[in-house]
Amino acid sequence: MPFMLSGITISLIGVLVAGALPLVWRNLAGHRAAQAVLAIAAACGAFASIAFLAAGTGPSTVFAPASIPALRFEINGLSAVFLAIVNAVACLCAIFAFRYVEKYRQVYDMPSLDLGVALFIFGMQAVLLSTSVISFMLFWEMMSLSSFVLVMADRQAASRKAALLYFGMAQFGAAAILAGFFLISGGKPLADFAAIAGMAAALPPAKITLAFILFFLGFGSKAGLVPLHIWLPEAHPQAPSHVSALMSSAMLKIAVYGFLLATTSLLPPLASGFGLSVVIVGLVTAVFGIVHASVEHDIKRAIAWHSIENLGLIFAMLGISMFAARNGMPLLSEIGLAAALFHAINHAIFKSGLFLSTGVIMSQIHTRDIEEMGGMAKRMPYFTAAICALTLSGAALPPFGTFYDEWLFVQGLVGHLAGSGPIVLAVLLSTLAVVAFCGGLAVFAMTKLFALPCLGQPRSEEAAHMKEPPASMNGPILFFAAAGLLAGVFSARILRTIGFADLIHADTFLSVATPKGSVAPMAAFALMAAVILGLVAARRVLGQRRIRTYHTWDCGQPITPRMEYTATAFSAPIRFFFRSIVGIRKTVVVTQTGSGPLLVKREMTLTGRSFWLSRVYEPLALAMHKLGDNARRIQSGSIQLYLLFILIALGATLLIAV
Amino acid sequence: MNPFILTAIQAVTVLALAPFATGLVRWCKARLQGRKGASPLLPYVSYATLLKKEMVISPVASWVFHVAPFVVLASSVFATLALPLVASDGAFAGLGNFILIASTLSLGSVFLVLGGLDPGSAFGGMGSSRELTLAALVEPSVIAVFAAFSVVSGGSTVSQMLAAAGMGVLAHPGLFLTLIGFVFVLLAENARYPVDNPATHLELTMVHEAMVLEYSGPYLAMLEYASSLKLTLFSLLLANFVLPAPLASTGAGPAMALAAVLGAVAKVGVAAALLALLESSMAKMRFYRMQEYMTIAFLAAFGGLVLVLV
Repeated sequence: MPFMLSGITISLIGVLVAGALPLVWRNLAGHRAAQAVLAIAAACGAFASIAFLAAGTGPSTVFAPASIPALRFEINGLSAVFLAIVNAVACLCAIFAFRYVEKYRQVYDMPSLDLGVALFIFGMQAVLLSTSVISFMLFWEMMSLSSFVLVMADRQAASRKAALLYFGMAQFGAAAILAGFFLISGGKPLADFAAIAGMAAALPPAKITLAFILFFLGFGSKAGLVPLHIWLPEAHPQAPSHVSALMSSAMLKIAVYGFLLATTSLLPPLASGFGLSVVIVGLVTAVFGIVHASVEHDIKRAIAWHSIENLGLIFAMLGISMFAARNGMPLLSEIGLAAALFHAINHAIFKSGLFLSTGVIMSQIHTRDIEEMGGMAKRMPYFTAAICALTLSGAALPPFGTFYDEWLFVQGLVGHLAGSGPIVLAVLLSTLAVVAFCGGLAVFAMTKLFALPCLGQPRSEEAAHMKEPPASMNGPILFFAAAGLLAGVFSARILRTIGFADLIHADTFLSVATPKGSVAPMAAFALMAAVILGLVAARRVLGQRRIRTYHTWDCGQPITPRMEYTATAFSAPIRFFFRSIVGIRKTVVVTQTGSGPLLVKREMTLTGRSFWLSRVYEPLALAMHKLGDNARRIQSGSIQLYLLFILIALGATLLIAV
Repeated sequence: MNPFILTAIQAVTVLALAPFATGLVRWCKARLQGRKGASPLLPYVSYATLLKKEMVISPVASWVFHVAPFVVLASSVFATLALPLVASDGAFAGLGNFILIASTLSLGSVFLVLGGLDPGSAFGGMGSSRELTLAALVEPSVIAVFAAFSVVSGGSTVSQMLAAAGMGVLAHPGLFLTLIGFVFVLLAENARYPVDNPATHLELTMVHEAMVLEYSGPYLAMLEYASSLKLTLFSLLLANFVLPAPLASTGAGPAMALAAVLGAVAKVGVAAALLALLESSMAKMRFYRMQEYMTIAFLAAFGGLVLVLV
């Protein structure tokens, strides 16, 4: 037991050391040493948290300074899952950054970037271990502010703009969370969570509702739930790729952890309406996220939109879990929670891998536009094999881990359909339909994400000269790809380790079981592998083996990359079918270029206006402006009037406070 | 009978029957359209010929081009082994969970799409984009169709759905709607009318054929065979949902197994004739009207699911 806890302490100290190192040792060697220390510390933390989970012990104190009780750090079963995610992702991102940041020495200020990353990771670790309002909020802000700085690490105008938007949303979220805590604790910042839970039990329902709304707004804005998602597709792409990986895989999960903490350990059991609202918000988020991910052709934005979809799904799973608990379906409640946690793990795996891959791609071709890519599979087979596995994992296809968490959820829903009342039935059926819809589109979005950059002819000069990245950059990506596959094959073991042993049948192949239906991931993988091997063996003995190389069929004129399907063309059907959601307008400008009426030049532009931006945020901003303008009228310049205002403000304050 | 023997019987029957199914649809269509038509056994000959030919592969193609035919064929073979087509409880019936099977078949579609895009031709991209759109949009209908059977039978593997007492189309009136949904799914998944024209030679209307355009020789044989196999297993599945008999099982003897094999041949024959009739009596839909088709498919499937629940 003590060795796990000391492992976590070592990881905390190691991360801080890794942040401080480049400050005193301001050259490349300092950066490398810092990344090595960070990788080792995070690996330590990851193994310690997994060992803690495997041992299955109850909450344990990691660190308790006698003089400051509010800074007591504690690990429990839930935070250990998230701590393992944060540390594992941090470890591999550090290995990746070892060479990656070096390529951008002119762009980033290395010591401050490394310090920012270390503080960011430390903030996330510490949030998970915090046991009091003040330390939770302190480290939450540390995480938010350091990531805010990291988003604008390249000091570009676009990054600063994205970072400011992110900052605004993050502060709004943090304020909501703090208000939620204070509402329960009666304004005591030093209260620890056990005490808060006690106070919450005695609160009137109206206050519970308000606290829930505040927590949902706060954690939802961090998780990128609609309509508070607008910062995510702006901020995640602007950050350096290993930071994007950390933000998407780890930081969004901290929001899930916070939400779980608030709803399961702090607030008393919530009525089913709360669960239902979480389901609705989650599903709306998933639909918007996946439709945008399908039509986006900026590679990092597409991945960021896909994160929005995944977080929406996680929240829908959590919502179903809350809803089911109040409607007499304890097993579905457990299935929802298990699926959400397992999806969080799987999402961390494949999303880190995908963001790191974009780092490799962008470091070579210096653009995020898929229309400039192509032909990578021919030039970098190992790297693209990894991306292929990562995107298949993102598409929730077997035998990858993501498939099994979605399987668990969908099977759980289907298994609980029969015999439920009309309202429950309506909720389960609509969830089932929307989840299946998103599942289908996720296959589209992810396949597009792999196929267009990796296959075909290179669409630009830079893309034609791409080559495999160094092993320290390829390694983490290949590791994530393999981990996604192993998470599928060993999904039963993982579910058992994170505390859902009763969803596992201890038969030969360790099936994952719901009340009506089970599946044995290892057996499925074994059969699929056996069939493929059988086909390969059959091909060895059967059929002609001679190959002639001849160019792609070209209809009689040389085929060029300009004739290939572009990413925009590829997603045209989806853009057309879901034009009401995507909000993309096509404008064609026809200009006369010659004498005849047929000699014209056509230029097509697609302009995207996000529904939420144009219908919610812009009217809101305009209204604020108008309010401001109107408020100017009372600024008459007469001192008597100002004194009157001060008096009214004072009176109002006293009235509220007393 | 030993479940492994049952699975072997089923695998041999279905794998052997697959080219015949494709040939039979083509022959029936030709007869219905007043042509003489090629022998239904022609696909056996053409696949064998393709196996003997050398492959022409574009220099643009990468490892994906070589992997795709194996994954595509493997996904269909996996479904052939796990689904109750001839035998109701084969050795791998436990893996016949409907979500697993549907997703494995999607894995096959994804690799078909990747193979279509890899050589960098415009036609491949066009076919791939369309195929992937269809595969994405048909997903909710697939889940709804099988969820309805799952609710009525109380099981989650397709074998359990067929084995439940009194299954078949009359088990619940709502299942009739579900079956209509399943027919929509079958046509979309197998690139048939009105979604795709399997006999087209005009690239602009192709979906499936555009993706395999760059393939030749043994790889083309594998892909064509995989699509025949998928058509066969969907036809058998539909037939078994309507009439889950005769099926071989562990409790029954060799006579039953023989009856099941003959039954499978008959089912494929009837399904092929009906498919040919359907394809001869309607036109292909415009691709940009596919959302209407998919909406109808989903409404039918979902309506069936709602009916069996209330």
